[in-house]
Amino acid sequence: MEFEPKIVAFLCNWCSYTGADLAGTSRMKYSPSLRIIRVMCSGRICPTFIFKAFQEGADGVLVCGCHPGDCHYNEGNYKCLRRFKLIEKYIRQMGIEPDRIRLAWISASEGKLFAELANEMTQTIKNLGPSTIKAQLEQMV
Amino acid sequence: MEEIRIGVYICWCGTNIAKNVDVERVAAEAGKLQGVVVARDYKYMCSDPGQDLMVKDIQEMNLNRIVVAACSPRIHEITFRKALEKAGLNPYLFQMANIREQVSWVHDDREKATQKAIDLVTGAVKRVRWQEALNKRSVKVNPATLVIGGGIAGLTAAREIARTGRIVFLVEKEKSLGGMMKKINRTFPNLDEASKYLNPIIEEVSSHPHIQVYLNSQLVKLSGYVGNFIGTVNHKETQSELEFGNIIVATGLKPFKPTPLSNYAYKRLPNIITSVEFEEMLSKGYIRLDSRQEPKHVAIIHCVGSRNPDFLPYCSRTCCQTALKFANQIKDLLPKAHVYQIYADMRSMSKGCEEMYSKTAKRGVMFLMYDQKGKLPYIREAGKNEKTRLVIEMKELLSGEQVEVTADLVILMVGMEAQETSKQLSQVLGISRCSNNFYIEKHPKLDPVATTTDGVFIVGSCQAPKEISDSASQAKAAAARVLAMINKDWVEVEVITSSVREEICCGCQICVHVCPYGAIEFLKEKKVSCVNEVICKGCGTCASACPTGAIGSRHFTEKQILAQIEGVMLQLLEV
Amino acid sequence: MISRVDPEFKQELHKYGLREWNECFHCGNCTAICPLTKDDNLFPRRGIRLAQMGLKKQLVSSVDPWLCYYCGECTETCPRNANPGELMMVLRRYLTSCYDWTGISRLFYTRKIWELAAIILIALGVIISFLVFLPPSPDLFSKPQAFINEQGGVMINSLANGISASRFVQLIEYGDLLMAILVAGFLISNIFHMFYRVILSDRNLKFPFYSYFTEFWSLIYNFVTQARFSKCDNRTYWIGHLLVMTGYTIMFTLIVAFLKEFQIEEIKPWYHWQRLLGYYSTFGILFFLIYTFIGRIRKTDLKMQFSHPSDWMFIVLLFFTAVTGILIHIFRVSGLPAATYFTYLIHLAFLVPMIVIEVPFSKWSHLAYRPFAVYFDRLRRAGQNRQSIVELTPAI
Repeated sequence: MEFEPKIVAFLCNWCSYTGADLAGTSRMKYSPSLRIIRVMCSGRICPTFIFKAFQEGADGVLVCGCHPGDCHYNEGNYKCLRRFKLIEKYIRQMGIEPDRIRLAWISASEGKLFAELANEMTQTIKNLGPSTIKAQLEQMV
Repeated sequence: MEEIRIGVYICWCGTNIAKNVDVERVAAEAGKLQGVVVARDYKYMCSDPGQDLMVKDIQEMNLNRIVVAACSPRIHEITFRKALEKAGLNPYLFQMANIREQVSWVHDDREKATQKAIDLVTGAVKRVRWQEALNKRSVKVNPATLVIGGGIAGLTAAREIARTGRIVFLVEKEKSLGGMMKKINRTFPNLDEASKYLNPIIEEVSSHPHIQVYLNSQLVKLSGYVGNFIGTVNHKETQSELEFGNIIVATGLKPFKPTPLSNYAYKRLPNIITSVEFEEMLSKGYIRLDSRQEPKHVAIIHCVGSRNPDFLPYCSRTCCQTALKFANQIKDLLPKAHVYQIYADMRSMSKGCEEMYSKTAKRGVMFLMYDQKGKLPYIREAGKNEKTRLVIEMKELLSGEQVEVTADLVILMVGMEAQETSKQLSQVLGISRCSNNFYIEKHPKLDPVATTTDGVFIVGSCQAPKEISDSASQAKAAAARVLAMINKDWVEVEVITSSVREEICCGCQICVHVCPYGAIEFLKEKKVSCVNEVICKGCGTCASACPTGAIGSRHFTEKQILAQIEGVMLQLLEV
Repeated sequence: MISRVDPEFKQELHKYGLREWNECFHCGNCTAICPLTKDDNLFPRRGIRLAQMGLKKQLVSSVDPWLCYYCGECTETCPRNANPGELMMVLRRYLTSCYDWTGISRLFYTRKIWELAAIILIALGVIISFLVFLPPSPDLFSKPQAFINEQGGVMINSLANGISASRFVQLIEYGDLLMAILVAGFLISNIFHMFYRVILSDRNLKFPFYSYFTEFWSLIYNFVTQARFSKCDNRTYWIGHLLVMTGYTIMFTLIVAFLKEFQIEEIKPWYHWQRLLGYYSTFGILFFLIYTFIGRIRKTDLKMQFSHPSDWMFIVLLFFTAVTGILIHIFRVSGLPAATYFTYLIHLAFLVPMIVIEVPFSKWSHLAYRPFAVYFDRLRRAGQNRQSIVELTPAI
């Protein structure tokens, strides 16, 4: 059977989640690999969430927020961006391919972009193959 | 601790969900999850019988957590929360799984879609277990209203509200009121003078005791929340701080400059003018060329900039009707002149406009269709022997012929685009813009004048180009919404704010620095942070920055989100 | 040379009986409903478009109006009351005047008084020359028995004073011949003009030379059967039209080519071919005339709602020609020589202008233009260069 990755996606309520909804109302087909979790702002996304997702067996993690300057809470997306840079370093040290995580800005009107992003990311993860973190963690225990 | 008793409801949404998702299987799988007492599927959960089903279950089975898998929570979360309240349950003990916009509408593979729906429902079930009852907070509504923009939409809204005796602050960035409508000579379809309608409103607004007009002014800063906003208005060198409960945005649009479309030779050849310039000419009461002669042939080119993927990909909505209006005005002033409508598609919508189209055709106006996807019409200077000033070369689509059109005067029906300031203002207000820079309404069908920010309404052409009557209707609709809120005197505000568990807080004050609203205060005596819940908007940035986990974002707690992550990944474990 | 649109062209078309049609916004319903239009003859829509834009060159080179038989379904279907069917009629009148190089046709169509004047003038000419060359015998009233043959019928060729029967027929035949040469000369040159505009002037059109012969059958076939007409939904009209066309043609052939066999002193028995053909023609013409008279007066049938003076002129002349023709026959059979002579004179006074005016310059010319249009259309189809047609198709 073909490898069907599971990607946990954190979307901010105001721009990205609305953008994903728009992809739906526009009936844009994309890969069923995403599992979307809604947060109020990309600034809410804690590194723990991302590690937890990998720990639970996610093959990739996607983080989406408003475009710079458009944040509903003025600057949450900038904070998310800064945290994300650190997380990228951190997961590399953990031995996770940095391509497994991705940060993207999706506005409320970018349903098409969101669908394309979902497909693109799924392909990237497919190329990388399944994540082994969960198995490794279980071995350690 | 009380026993967790979860009810799960899977909506078919007619065939919208049921077509691509095996709803019965999702319900069966959800029934197996820990804490789930009942799991059902139903045709329309949002319908009255659907809600009643849920209410009955809550009361009869003693449910204390509810999960509905249906459409996006942006559409029906409020509906279901109200149903919970009706059943006597706290509305925050509820979670939605979006299996329509995120599943059935975007995935064709029924098996994979069903699997994904099960995952999302599992996530919601895991999450809802940790959700807490929250108490809604009511705040008093400041009865003053801020209206941004002094065009027909803003003026109408301001007047409607002020007539009830409420205070309105009207902020206009130009030096006078009237906006785009002031530039219009006559309105379609009846060719009435625009000033006949506009001037009395301007007069009433300018002299109304309850309206404070700020000309040459702009809103530059906004704080607070629905019912209690504080805005800073810049006017020239001075600044004012205003307090108001609601905001109506009516910033309108601006005409497209046709210079980049070099085929239309605007500003390069004489006697080629835009529709806005032609309105000005009509207001002066004449139609003439640069040489002061009267034109014998007038060509009106449609869709200049509009419906052009390189410029404005959308329809500007009013130009076709305006062009037909022009044809009638030209025929009235210069009965012998020949008028050519060079169009891409005639879209003469709105009441009375199709009739105007048909009447205009009867007046002997020539309609020529060009191919918007092919080569656009090209304007060149006429040769010496051509007995005219300008020649338009075009491929006429309905006849399939390459033809030339004689013209003395060319009117370019320029498209309408969003104001340059739309981005800056959207950031101040915290509202979203569409890909064409117009503001996005809360719901295109069900809530067309509200925005996702409570207390901020959008009316008129800042939402999309529209005609005067539509702008006025929207203005009145928004005014009614605002007045209803003022009349109620209080408004419920979201309680999704942050809160500090003082016993864990180490007093590092990181949260104080990351908060974009200055809502967190450091209590020096206790050496802990404290959230001012009136100012906090609940973004949760502090929660993710807190090193000890002392500060939490209500309804989006770490426990809830981690449980949801666990839930959406759970199926993988079982496979 | 690129064509320039001409907003003044509609004033020109107004003279040919045009009513309002600028309301058309090219939905294409007319072409969709039309039982005759084919994928690459998009009438009536294309015709309306060319007329609206004033593209005269394209209009004159198009045979579409001749391929339409005005069933009126397009007009019924038109959501904007632009009356496409009537426009096709107007275009046929316009094309008739365009094909006519002398300009007489245009004059008649656009200045109605000229047509009337010409008819009266020719009628007077016929009457005067008849009275001069074939004056009535003074015995017509005093000795009517002298003109009666054995069957008791009038000897039609012996009524002129001092002119033998053979001489009488001879003179009439000369007149016939002169008329035929005149009419044929004009009509053939007009058809050649049409051929030039439709086929020769199109430089992109190339088809094998043998097509001229292989497609020729279509001309004959369409002339005889009016097969295209039968595709219109109203079959009664087609039958009526077929009757009048065959009746008229038979009559025309009899008097021009077979006058000596047709107009004889002896009255043949009713089953003789000569009388049978005469009855058939009379019946055909009368059937059609009654049908159209009623139609044009009641105006319930769409194609007869708008009558241009040229339409009336044509049926009125035909009516009087037919009625006088019948009267001649009745008077002859009844043995009334004086009545026969004068009715014959009146008959000619209607018949000659009808043929001389109507056939080359006015409505009757469609008798020739229609089958030739089908022929030219088939020639065009035989052409390899169909580029312009292919480009046009997606526009509907």
